[in-house]
Amino acid sequence: MSVSQDDVAAGSSSSVAPLLVMNDISKSFPGVLALSHVNLEIQPGEIHAIVGENGAGKSTLMKILAGVHKPTEGTIQWAGDEVSIGSPHAAQQLGIRMVFQELSLVPDLSVAENISLGRMPRGRLFVDRKRMARLALEALKVIGEELDPNTLIADLTISQRQLVEIARVISSGARLVALDEPTSSLTEFEGKKLLAVIKSLKHSGISVIYISHRLHEVLAIADRVTVMRDGRTIETRSAQGATQAELVQRMVGRDLDDMFPKAIVPIGPVVFRAENLTGEGKFSDITIEVRSGEIVGLAGLIGAGRTEFARAVFGLDRFDSGACFLNSVRIRPKNPAQAIRDGIAYVPEDRRLLGIVPPLSIRENLTLSILRRESRAGVSRAGVIGRRAERAEAARLTKHLSVVPAAIERRIETLSGGNQQKVVLGRWLATGPALLILDEPTRGVDVGAKAEIHRIIGELAAEGIAILMISSELPEIIAASDRVYVLHEGSLVAEFDREGITEENIMTAATGALAS
Amino acid sequence: MKLAARLGTKRKLGFSIGVPATVLLLLMVGSVSSPHFLTVSNLLNVLTSISIVGIVAVGMAFVTMSGGWADLSVPAVIATGAIILLGTQPTLGTLGAMVVALAACALAGAINGIVIGYIRANPIIVTLGSNIIVLGIAQAFVGGRIVYNSDPLANQLVKGKNLGVPFIVIVFLVLALIAHFILARTVWGRWTIATGGNYAAAAASGVPVRFVRGIAFVLTSVLAGVSGCLLALSLQSVRPVIGTGYDFSSFAALVVGGVSLLGGSGSIPRVLGGLLIVQLMSNIMVLHGFPTTAQGLAEGLVIVFAVALDIKLRKRSGGL
Repeated sequence: MSVSQDDVAAGSSSSVAPLLVMNDISKSFPGVLALSHVNLEIQPGEIHAIVGENGAGKSTLMKILAGVHKPTEGTIQWAGDEVSIGSPHAAQQLGIRMVFQELSLVPDLSVAENISLGRMPRGRLFVDRKRMARLALEALKVIGEELDPNTLIADLTISQRQLVEIARVISSGARLVALDEPTSSLTEFEGKKLLAVIKSLKHSGISVIYISHRLHEVLAIADRVTVMRDGRTIETRSAQGATQAELVQRMVGRDLDDMFPKAIVPIGPVVFRAENLTGEGKFSDITIEVRSGEIVGLAGLIGAGRTEFARAVFGLDRFDSGACFLNSVRIRPKNPAQAIRDGIAYVPEDRRLLGIVPPLSIRENLTLSILRRESRAGVSRAGVIGRRAERAEAARLTKHLSVVPAAIERRIETLSGGNQQKVVLGRWLATGPALLILDEPTRGVDVGAKAEIHRIIGELAAEGIAILMISSELPEIIAASDRVYVLHEGSLVAEFDREGITEENIMTAATGALAS
Repeated sequence: MKLAARLGTKRKLGFSIGVPATVLLLLMVGSVSSPHFLTVSNLLNVLTSISIVGIVAVGMAFVTMSGGWADLSVPAVIATGAIILLGTQPTLGTLGAMVVALAACALAGAINGIVIGYIRANPIIVTLGSNIIVLGIAQAFVGGRIVYNSDPLANQLVKGKNLGVPFIVIVFLVLALIAHFILARTVWGRWTIATGGNYAAAAASGVPVRFVRGIAFVLTSVLAGVSGCLLALSLQSVRPVIGTGYDFSSFAALVVGGVSLLGGSGSIPRVLGGLLIVQLMSNIMVLHGFPTTAQGLAEGLVIVFAVALDIKLRKRSGGL
């Protein structure tokens, strides 16, 4: 920690030799150029934010820094020397530490054991437990957290675990800490505490790379901000004087209206109604309505219970009390097959896990939910699939959704993420649903496919389908929704109509500021 | 994506050329190296041994394709079917005894199916365990004795031929044809493949995944029972070890033919290809007088190679 307070204050000036310079970094994977001529410079004791949409290349850049990937082109300088970070171990040797969304703590070990994991102080024969506890206390003190070092990680809250992870990083002699979405699963209060801890890192001369979608946090905490888009660095600027709107504009590279075209659709009667729906420990007492032709956004932080609510409505999980109505008829979603018969469709959040069936063709993926005759557009008779009917239906859907390529016998694995998502969407359209639940419909798809998927969603609404859309991307919720419900820690905390849908309103509600 | 696409097509070609080419190669090697290979009686021998294993392999194909890996209880179920058939034959007659035998096999399969499909226990462990249990019961039932056939008519039928084709071969071909139709053309077949291709996604698409996977085990047990009955009637006597090795040979045929061990892809024609390769290989080795141990070694090597290739291809095409 040789850096003095004065240097820290001058964090963004160029008078200090930078700690890290990533110069002209490119990284290509087979068929994909993930990073293209990226430049990044981190000063000692600087908090440097990186913002950008999903898929902009932030994570790939961090993986290069962490020694997980090797850059295809470009050089890295560390404290003035050119280095090659060949492995995660090499990155650690330099003093580079990563804190990812998924924490790397061992839940069944204590706080102290986790903090000194891999380098436990040794006594004559066994681990020197006293010294280990002392080290843990020291590290916890730096971040201002009072915790019993003997507590098991499993007994801590998520935010406490995050702090322990940071304490571990500090006590291991980090010089640069990269945090990837550290506050995404925290409440507003916990998030503020974490931000304070990050600031204290800066004061002990540690540099921080801070990746977040929460732009107000970024502007509050960072010295400088680098914007990434489509694998490139668009600009690096001082955080002082920057506005959220400017950042969004740079991140997206075009106006939001073009990205989420919103058609004006007449809104009909109530199609779906959940009444006091409660799933113990996941969501409680949720009453919502979705009308025909209406796109209703379901906003909230990760872990607010949105996906859990959707899964229960679709019969993937049980709920404990409450009732669901479809066109005023009570439905009891026992399992997905039942829900499909009732007229509910659910495009899941995780496409790879719950959406596509990789070894099957586009055709087979499209017709998976309409094989049985009792479903509306069934393509089978007495259990035998009608080949002509199936092919015709698959061809119709590929055309309707403009899946590229439109070769229905191709394996779905060979398509891009956006086209895979269109096929999953198509599977559900085929069932002729009254209610379509979309869970993060454009996660991980590129900007072009995003706009196209939203055009399709708009068309579906125009056909009179009631749409409930879960999204963690506020611009998406704001631009596409007719109405927005906000969940916080499993409870419905707010409802906004078209005029009330603003980033500030939603964020305030989602972070629980209304609930308390 | 491009790379994955290329591998995808390569893999398809790899099957459509690779398996028939290997069969052809083996036929050539056999006929060149041994004067006994290309004789009617030898080829009928090969076909008959393919059929007994093949009936089991057809059932196993459903298990593997639905993502249930393999059914290792096959040897015990074959023995059970054979023992019950011959044991109850004197009182129930051959046909009645067969019904009882197959029902008992279906019950064993149902227990496997429930524990694996609904409780989602590891299929390898469950069927390894049920193999020992069922074999134990069968052994207790006959007490180590040999049970003999008491219906010479049934023996004649099973050992007989129609238009030169052995009865057992006909039974196998009919069953294979039905299975092929189910897998390729019916809703149930598509569900089976989808369950193995992505269990969670299939479940979320309304496929009754637990039932589908459970039934695959019932089907395998019933078909193993059919194999056991045919074996018992043609051999005229049964000991509890009668089914030994059928789990392994049928599984070998699947992986060699290109049914993905990971589930979600495969077909009955591929199983046939695999059966031909494995059985021709062992036939050629028998004709050349290789000891049984060497045959086992060769079969083992082929399986390990086929499994490794399957996983490798899947990984590269991004399926894992």
